[in-house]
Amino acid sequence: MTRREKLELLQGTLDMMILKTLIFGPAHGRGIAKHIQQATDDLLQVEHGSLYPALHRLERQGLIAGKWETAPGQKRELKYYRLTAAGRRQLHARESKWRALVQAIGRVMQPAAES
Amino acid sequence: MWPFRRRPSDAEIARELRDHLELEAEELRARGAARAAPLDARRRFGNLALTTEAVRDVWRVAHVDQLWQDVRQGWRALRHSPVYAVTATITLALGIGASTAIFSLGDPLIDRPFPLLPESRLVWIVRRSPSCASCASTPAEYAALSRASRALSAVGAASMWRGTLRDAAGSELVTGYRVSANLFSLLQAPLAVGRGFRAGDDASGAAPVTVLSYAFWQSRFHASPGVLDSSITLGGTPHRVIGVLGRDLVFPTQSDAYLPLTLPPDAANDHTAQFLDLFGRLAPGATVSQARAEAQGVSAALAREAPRTDSGAVLAARPLSEFHTDDLRLLVLPLAVAVALVLLAACVSVANLALARTSVRRREFAVRAALGGRRGRLARLLATEAAFIAIAGGALGVLGAAWGVHAMRDTVPASFAAFAPGWVRMGIDGRALIFTLCVCIGAVIVFASLPIARATRVDLASVLSDGGRGSAGGVHGTRLRSVLVILEVSVAIVLLSSAALLTRSVRNMRTGDPGVRLDNVLTMHFSLPSDVADSAKRAVYRHLDERLGEAPGIVAAGFATTTPLSNNFQGVAFTIPGQPPPANGQPNGAIEQDVSPDYARVMGVRVLRGRGIGARDVAGSQRAAVINAYMANRYWPGRDPVGETITIGGDPWTIIGVASNVYHGGLDEPLRSEIDRPIDQVPIATGDLEVLTTGDPSRAKDAVRAAIASAEPTLAIGSMLTMREMEARHVSAFVLMSGVLSVFAAVTFVIAIVGLYGVVAYGVAQRTREIGVRIALGAGARRILRHVAGGALRLTAVGIVIGCAGALFFGRLLTATLYRVTASDPTTPLAVAGVLLLVALAAAIVPAWRAARVNPVIALRE
Repeated sequence: MTRREKLELLQGTLDMMILKTLIFGPAHGRGIAKHIQQATDDLLQVEHGSLYPALHRLERQGLIAGKWETAPGQKRELKYYRLTAAGRRQLHARESKWRALVQAIGRVMQPAAES
Repeated sequence: MWPFRRRPSDAEIARELRDHLELEAEELRARGAARAAPLDARRRFGNLALTTEAVRDVWRVAHVDQLWQDVRQGWRALRHSPVYAVTATITLALGIGASTAIFSLGDPLIDRPFPLLPESRLVWIVRRSPSCASCASTPAEYAALSRASRALSAVGAASMWRGTLRDAAGSELVTGYRVSANLFSLLQAPLAVGRGFRAGDDASGAAPVTVLSYAFWQSRFHASPGVLDSSITLGGTPHRVIGVLGRDLVFPTQSDAYLPLTLPPDAANDHTAQFLDLFGRLAPGATVSQARAEAQGVSAALAREAPRTDSGAVLAARPLSEFHTDDLRLLVLPLAVAVALVLLAACVSVANLALARTSVRRREFAVRAALGGRRGRLARLLATEAAFIAIAGGALGVLGAAWGVHAMRDTVPASFAAFAPGWVRMGIDGRALIFTLCVCIGAVIVFASLPIARATRVDLASVLSDGGRGSAGGVHGTRLRSVLVILEVSVAIVLLSSAALLTRSVRNMRTGDPGVRLDNVLTMHFSLPSDVADSAKRAVYRHLDERLGEAPGIVAAGFATTTPLSNNFQGVAFTIPGQPPPANGQPNGAIEQDVSPDYARVMGVRVLRGRGIGARDVAGSQRAAVINAYMANRYWPGRDPVGETITIGGDPWTIIGVASNVYHGGLDEPLRSEIDRPIDQVPIATGDLEVLTTGDPSRAKDAVRAAIASAEPTLAIGSMLTMREMEARHVSAFVLMSGVLSVFAAVTFVIAIVGLYGVVAYGVAQRTREIGVRIALGAGARRILRHVAGGALRLTAVGIVIGCAGALFFGRLLTATLYRVTASDPTTPLAVAGVLLLVALAAAIVPAWRAARVNPVIALRE
């Protein structure tokens, strides 16, 4: 199994991705990490050491809310995170900003494609 | 910043991370890597402890720790500039303490002097006439008002009463009121025990009853319940005690006992005797202004009915809370305005200090910002500093207020306080305290937000590059501070000139000659049983005169109808044979003063012409009268009245002498005619006894009491006061007021000067480079000096102009309290302005001198 080179996360994008993940429904930390990993085809391996501080930071800011509960089909209680209304707003704001940024960078990197 | 979100426990964090590992391990196991699973998961997770710590940090920083950090930093910052911290704290404390104390006066004295009564529905009726702004009413007015008024559901009357309580313990002079039978129910006065008066108690011939005040019940009967229904001898007649008024109820002034008021059947036609204080209860839905209009209508109808006596008098209904508070209002209103000014000056000064400090720290803020300090964090730091000062200032201020309230309560003598029911209840007012806290918080917001707004607008590059001495920002800040200094100076001028006015007024009162001896005189009321024969009264006078003269520490004793300065005089009508009667048809009036031979000696009244009343003026000899100089000059201008005759009650009285003038009210009241007659020829049953002592008169009280009790047990005495205390009754409120204003003025003066110095000194520091350039270009030291000092003086001058206008306006508030000083007199504000200008010049010279000595080389290189 060849190990692919890990991509480094741009600052601030982890928070955005966590928020985006939670838009599909509540999830626990491992679930979020797995989702990001799978969605990026293992290109992004979320550093666990940064995932949990990020989760708690978002919780402290009131963008997500954590709650211990047992999901159907699970044997044990896990801490599930869900998006708050503030989190939803924040996600939209960050997403559009990010899109603008990507477009702008794209124009610089691929000027030909633009014209 | 999000203090309400619950912080997860360490166990919770650990459990969440463990779950993560286990879930991962399960997934790996499911994929077949069974054996190595936990280890691999752990490895992939990285350092578990590190992550736990990182998660914990997310929460920790926001909470107590960061607040604590702010507190520590704020404390450290303040400790590094103790002058700023102490000045700001003390300034704030002064403002808050002074305002809490003064505003605490308002409630018990002005707003709710009778808290135990339903004050909002009660009115008192005042009779205004050209000769008297606030007088008692006549029985005719009482009857007419009771009959005619619709806005008042009931009208009651009270009349001051003084009598003797006699029992096994001896005789005691008691004071109180005769009140109409409906008064207590009209007032809804609470009773401690028993009942109040009711209809029938006041019928002539009804069994005599009395209601005691709670204070008297306690002091005289030790609150014994056995007193109820027992009989006490008042004024020689046994009275049954039917009730005791509620605790702390003082109505209308401090009293011992109340009796029913019995008016003669034809009282409704009595248009002349003014002795009734009228009170009314508003009918449901009625307002004070309706009652006022009705009362006016009643007086108009009475004026038609009896035009000669009732014309010119108008009845007016006023809220009960205004009873007795007219004088106090005169005092408290200017004080409230003054204290608001002090508070304003204090806040302005603290804001000014904070601004100055921020300006000095612009560089520090810039460095912090450059190192990544966020604006929110900077603002929080400043807010914490401000909170420190606000909390410390507020706490100190409340302490100061508590002290101030006690000091004011104790400064005023009991004899004065007796007339203001609220005085004894005075304490720190809860609302005033809340007000204080609001001011406190307001001050924090104001003087924290000013620097925050300025500090967070810091333009890094410019500040760092020119070392905080940028001209543009500096000038802008200085302009704001200049405005604040102008404000401080004008407030100081207002307070200084009013304090000066009041001080001059009080000095005039003190040095003004009341015409009587104030030192070493003890005065008291006395009362003899009303059934004592005139010959027995003369015997009592003579006997007591001798016995008191022998008592240790007593020089002499004199009897009189009334004590000078007591404001307790009554009139006597007289005519002068051969002189036309006054145009209004009324007889001439003078103050009646019946005195024993030693009275003039005790009180220091001088004989100016003829002779004084002596031992030879006894019953049966020629009727002799001594008139005062004012009366002599008024009725016999340019002539000697000695030997002339006046007629009093149909009898001729020969004027045997002219005495010096004596003030019977306050010094601020006009002089009146006075006729002194020998007590032997006009034997009085009640009056005042004046005792001249060798030492402190208040120490002679027991000796006097003992001498009287052994010599004449039937003579009751009460209300012992020294003449100094009598004088204090007139002056003490003004002394208190001028004292408070002087303190306020001194405080604002210092505040203004410190502020001025600060602005000038800071301006010089800011402009060192500019000044250096000027000097380098040839400006002389004198020129620089003039330039800097001139700026300071311009600020002061603007403040003085505004302040003088304010002082004239404020002086009008004071007019009523001033004695022989005119409020519109411009000399006071001008003198104060001169002083302030000199001090301002001195405050400006120091930094100006520093400016003039700037070394251009150093200044420019810096």
